[in-house]
Amino acid sequence: MKSHNGPSHRSFERWYWGLWVLLPMAWLFVYPFLWMFLSMFKGNQEIFQPTTLLPEQWDLVHLRRLLAGEWFPFWRVLGLSLFMAVGQALGAVVLTSMAGFAFAKLRFRGRSLLLVACLFTIVLPRQLLVVPLFEWVHRIGLHGSVWGVMFPGMVSGLGVLFFTQVFRQVPDAYLETACLEGANEWGAYRLLLPMLGSCLLSYGLIHFILAWNEHLIPLVVLGGAEQQTLPLALASLYGSSLRFPYAALMAGSFVAMIPPMFFFLFSYRRFRDALSNVILS
Amino acid sequence: MSAVSSRSLAGLLGPFFFLFILFWLVPLIGGLRLSLHSNTLVGEGVFVGLEHYSELMEDARYFKALRNTSFYAFFTLALILPVAVVFAHALQSLGGRLRSLLQFAMLIPGLTPPAVLALLFLLVFHGRQGLLNQWFVMPLGGQPINWLKDPDVILMALIMQCAWRWVGFITFFIHSGMQAIPGMYYEALEVETHKAWHRFRWVTLPCLRHVILFCLMYLVVDAFALFSGAYVLLGGSGGTADAGLMLVSYTYQRALAFGEFGSAAAMSVSVAPCLLGILGCVVWISRRWAFKSGGHKA
Repeated sequence: MKSHNGPSHRSFERWYWGLWVLLPMAWLFVYPFLWMFLSMFKGNQEIFQPTTLLPEQWDLVHLRRLLAGEWFPFWRVLGLSLFMAVGQALGAVVLTSMAGFAFAKLRFRGRSLLLVACLFTIVLPRQLLVVPLFEWVHRIGLHGSVWGVMFPGMVSGLGVLFFTQVFRQVPDAYLETACLEGANEWGAYRLLLPMLGSCLLSYGLIHFILAWNEHLIPLVVLGGAEQQTLPLALASLYGSSLRFPYAALMAGSFVAMIPPMFFFLFSYRRFRDALSNVILS
Repeated sequence: MSAVSSRSLAGLLGPFFFLFILFWLVPLIGGLRLSLHSNTLVGEGVFVGLEHYSELMEDARYFKALRNTSFYAFFTLALILPVAVVFAHALQSLGGRLRSLLQFAMLIPGLTPPAVLALLFLLVFHGRQGLLNQWFVMPLGGQPINWLKDPDVILMALIMQCAWRWVGFITFFIHSGMQAIPGMYYEALEVETHKAWHRFRWVTLPCLRHVILFCLMYLVVDAFALFSGAYVLLGGSGGTADAGLMLVSYTYQRALAFGEFGSAAAMSVSVAPCLLGILGCVVWISRRWAFKSGGHKA
């Protein structure tokens, strides 16, 4: 990022006007999460006073009870969520990058028709098709199985368009060299992949976050309480009874936030660069 | 490019489109079929033609949900986009490390599972003690508002939640877009004018066209697919007097709580043309607009 690019560097030499706008906003964005973290230690009465931030005493008993699986099998639920989100992200990256390569570098009949089909999956997301999807998944026997969540999740039109754009930016010369060496299209695709590491990673990351956060599809497909993802388990705990310790809910929510935050922090810069290269071109 | 062997083409495209057909096209067609049959889950329903659709036309709750959702989509857009543009300019005026830090802070809500967010918001909106009442409404001399029970403000609460959640991401997109604008465009404009507004109107805005279009589409689709926020916040119902009833939650309710799959499918199917129409309008307007301002600039 070069700082001399972009607007407003000259007419706003006094850079602190931005600070005056953003610092109070940043507080508004961070406070609820800080409060959630600290509420892990509190009793119900303290929690229902959201303006108090610090707990009276630092009591980890609720977190311990949650991890011990008092309300739901915590580690199994966490493992299942991670497995589903990672599997879905990996599958989506592989499938959509293959399709994106074909769209960007090969000419064939029906190409634009298929691209429009991908556009449609963005415009009509599967959340809107949830009822027939439920019926269909039921019929083919994937009801209650993690595959019934993961397979529909991999149909990502956004991914196909993203990778089409990415592969378009790769010069054709690489492809021609590969063909001279005797590689077919499949070989050329695999040859190009390592060059696009950060794009693959960025998209995988976004897809992981979307899959991790998804609520409706797992709720409908997984059905009963036997197999749950973390957001589902938390939502079902909420409001289960008045005496239920909300601190456990806060602890669980905090745990649910860790994976997306961690992965995003890990590849924040790459994501930003990939974004400004692709969407903006 | 040279001739493509159909085998490798099938290998590259096949897996994706196999899942596409199985989990997108078939449910879409299944939804159409379901909407024409009577309300049974397993086994074949009786063909009833367009009965579910004519039922929908008389269903006041359906129109309420449709109205709420469109309202929600429109006002989230109207709130988020201008604020995000201001924030992006504010970010641009800051220096390196501070900018990254603030940007990341704004992104946190968008990274969090919506089920968790709704839980947090319950306490922001919660009765008299909630943050919104304690920090904003009461200091400004207002009466504490019962955000989640009063039918006049439920939708507003949902809109605020959405704005708070997405404004960071939209700012992020717009800011990335601003960074990609070559500095020489501004230098070229300085020959003619020095006003900050002109810089924004004639360089920044036209260059951000694609980004803004992307954000618009994203927010509209997200608004129509809204489920988790409303579901957790209002306990799966539409709230008092259905003031917070959303399309997806109503569909969900009809299908999985009442078992009326045919009606629910008809509802889903009827939304598709609406959504396509709205998005088509958005694209059309941005095309026209691009043509106009682009022509002027060149």
